[in-house]
Amino acid sequence: MQTLKRNILAVPILVWIGLLVGIPLIFVFGLSFLSRDSLGTIVFQFTLENYQRVLSPIYQRVFLNSLLLAFLTGAVTLVIGYPVAYITANLEPKKRALSIGLTMLPFWISSLLRTYGWMILLGNAGIINNLLLSLGIIETPLPMMYKFGTTLIGTAYMLIPFMIVAIFNSVDKLDRSLLEASYDLGASRRQTFFNITLPLTIPGIAGGFTLVFIPALGMFYVSDLLGGGNTIFLGNLINTQVTRGRNRPLAAAFSVAMILVVLLVISLYSRVAKDDREGLFL
Amino acid sequence: MKQPLLSLVDINKYFGDVHVLKDVSFTIEQGEFLTLLGPSGCGKTTLLRCIAGLEHVNSGDILLHGTSMKGIAPNKRNVNTVFQNYALFPHLNVYDNVAYGPRVKKSMKDAELKEKVRNVLDLVQMLGYDQRMPHQLSGGQRQRIAIARALINEPSILLLDEPLGALDLKLRKHMQTELAHLQKKTGTTFVYVTHDQEEALNMSDRIVVIDGGQLQQLGSPREIYNNPSNLFVTTFIGDRNIMQVSVLEKEDTYSRVQVGESVVSIRNPQHSSVSNGQEAILAIHMDKMRVSCDEVPNALRGEVVSVHYAGSQIRIEVNVDGKPITIVEYQKTDCDCEAGDLVYVVWEEHGAILLPLENAGVEREV
Repeated sequence: MQTLKRNILAVPILVWIGLLVGIPLIFVFGLSFLSRDSLGTIVFQFTLENYQRVLSPIYQRVFLNSLLLAFLTGAVTLVIGYPVAYITANLEPKKRALSIGLTMLPFWISSLLRTYGWMILLGNAGIINNLLLSLGIIETPLPMMYKFGTTLIGTAYMLIPFMIVAIFNSVDKLDRSLLEASYDLGASRRQTFFNITLPLTIPGIAGGFTLVFIPALGMFYVSDLLGGGNTIFLGNLINTQVTRGRNRPLAAAFSVAMILVVLLVISLYSRVAKDDREGLFL
Repeated sequence: MKQPLLSLVDINKYFGDVHVLKDVSFTIEQGEFLTLLGPSGCGKTTLLRCIAGLEHVNSGDILLHGTSMKGIAPNKRNVNTVFQNYALFPHLNVYDNVAYGPRVKKSMKDAELKEKVRNVLDLVQMLGYDQRMPHQLSGGQRQRIAIARALINEPSILLLDEPLGALDLKLRKHMQTELAHLQKKTGTTFVYVTHDQEEALNMSDRIVVIDGGQLQQLGSPREIYNNPSNLFVTTFIGDRNIMQVSVLEKEDTYSRVQVGESVVSIRNPQHSSVSNGQEAILAIHMDKMRVSCDEVPNALRGEVVSVHYAGSQIRIEVNVDGKPITIVEYQKTDCDCEAGDLVYVVWEEHGAILLPLENAGVEREV
């Protein structure tokens, strides 16, 4: 009886997930096996050709670019985000709320606008170049736009709040008496950090990495705007196939491939964080 | 004169506006088992943390081997703590937990370390558990590992913060004996924090009773138990009946005091004195009182309210001039009383203490 009641309570959420996640996924999966005519209209004819193209060598570079970008985004946000999260977790309550609030503040502004903001900063006639030119430090503008690194700055900037919040939670949960025990046993602050704090916050690091890696894999507007399309990533490819390429079945096949990569990352995460029940519920 | 191991000199500690330690001064001798005893919130754990260096003192000084500990970080002090929740590192196994101190201090070679870990694990009877993770151990086992992890550093003082609090009664009793043995065997100075008077009386060489951030009494368990120096210690240690009395006539060793409508003779207090006509406190151990059916001298007359049989002991409530008195007897003696009977309450002479009222502290309720 109890379980029945609980199951009934789960019905709305299941309907919700089914409508908004399940059905679209099935649709994408089905679409990836269909053909299209030259105008881009879907033809209901089963084919594996889309997957053959996904696996063809010319697209391997795209997968590698995307994985590298996602990995580096994770790494950059980790290196910058850890100290921020660590310091925040050790602040007094008021300052801590302020710090978390400021971390989340950018979400209130459209991410597209924020990406344009980076163009204004980094462009040849941008703020940084103008400043350096007027100070006489450089004579010609530094070419900072439309590079792999520019895209990396964009994705890292866009996703770093996820990393900070995930690590913050982990550091915040850390039992302070463990740190005291470490000092008490003769360890310096540095030794305590590397022997105790860092290993015990690995679940937070893994959670933050997962939360950053997955969106970084599929972001397309950042690389379109900041990378100028010079490096092709999975997100751009899918976007292009749907819009200009008029090949929705191929876009669907790439999407399925990307979902598989994401599932792989999540399964790696859940292995790292299996003891951490307050993790990402994966 | 021999230098004490640790001297606390006028320690004052504030948390914001709260004055948690007030001019605390005493010394700790090499090799003793000293207990800081007091109710929760009395400042005993804060005092321990000050010794460990985990808290700063606002004024006063702590001298270890005569050297001031001012500004010395916890990792530079040769004292180790056994924390209340053990604070074992959850990601390290027993071996790595115990080896943590020597490793971070790089004080031993691998082979020596291995031998040392073996020795301390043997000492706490946990040989063969090296590879277990903390979550695979029971409370009592974690306790032992926490002690081993501290002892391997050969501290000048081992600080223990209510280490038995989380254990069940039976295990607690067992660990009390074991801790006392361990202390004698290693010769390490133990400073032990507890709110449990039985624990303190059982294990300690000396007890420091603390209340409201102030040192109330320092002495051997026997002294503290039999000759409490003020009302707080009198009520906190041992189960006593507390009565307000007036001193009628003070003699050399005894005073005649009025308790309700009776007049009895009580030995004069050791730590202070009373004078004629003064109001005073009479405190008598419940288990040193007895009920008599016949009229006897130096007794209080009262009416039995209830008789409870609780295993080996019998608790008798007697109403003496409107005030309830509890008597604990271990075997029924001469008087087989029931509720409603008129009886005489007598006591062993050394079970009764007389305290002047001002010594009791004006703010306390009697």
